[in-house]
Amino acid sequence: MTYVLFTLSVLLVMGFVGFSSKPSPIYGGLALIVSGVVGCMIILNYGGAYLGLVMFLIYLGGMMVVFGYTAAMAIEEYPETWGSGFEVFGCFLVGLMMEVGLVLWVLEFDEVVVVVSLNDMGNWVVFEGEGLELVRGDSIGAGALYDYGRWLVVVAGWTLFVGVYIVIEITRGN
Amino acid sequence: MPSIYINIALAFTISLLGILTYRSHLISSLLCLEGIILSLFIISTLTASNIHFSLANIIPIALLVFAACEAAVGLALLISISSTYGLDYIHKLSLLQC
Repeated sequence: MTYVLFTLSVLLVMGFVGFSSKPSPIYGGLALIVSGVVGCMIILNYGGAYLGLVMFLIYLGGMMVVFGYTAAMAIEEYPETWGSGFEVFGCFLVGLMMEVGLVLWVLEFDEVVVVVSLNDMGNWVVFEGEGLELVRGDSIGAGALYDYGRWLVVVAGWTLFVGVYIVIEITRGN
Repeated sequence: MPSIYINIALAFTISLLGILTYRSHLISSLLCLEGIILSLFIISTLTASNIHFSLANIIPIALLVFAACEAAVGLALLISISSTYGLDYIHKLSLLQC
């Protein structure tokens, strides 16, 4: 199926429109989780199994959980969803119509020329070689973070440590 | 160039518009910031896989590290606003105090 990746990217844009139309933050978090799952499936289709797993564990399982707890603290009594009120529903509908227009454009002309010409549908065949060894490109590349990118590890670790300290100082208040 | 990049760049632009416009909650804009980071992660992963440049797979992981710091600081500011006012409504914020 040639267009499965393009369909997944259309679903990604619909998920992004879902939380950019600003419903109550709990529903926005739900739309972001759905977008994250679709994005992970796009990454998996390109053969990036390790980075898809990283996204599930760290992005959805780490950052979204923190967002969910914070949204539960800052929520009101009657959260507004996409169906309540005209503003959120209107924004969502406008985003969906724009995406439908883009899909019709791509299906009609097979290319989009904005600044560059985006015309390659990109059939991917993930080639599993026979033999005794199999090297996954993405996990090997990410493992090189600890080899060629030693200094980046030190800087990122120090950034995280200072970030925790900053958060403590901010939430301490006066 | 693969035409899947149109949709992912479009997702980035939609989230950017989400940050720049305010409705009632401040945390909705932080959520759109997370959406920007998600779209950047996907773009960098697809580029690194498409041209088979394995070393470029470091970029999404380092991006995720700094995005976590950014989200933590943003949420800490939100919590300090919420503890002053009770909720994080935009119309309660003034330039005089946080």
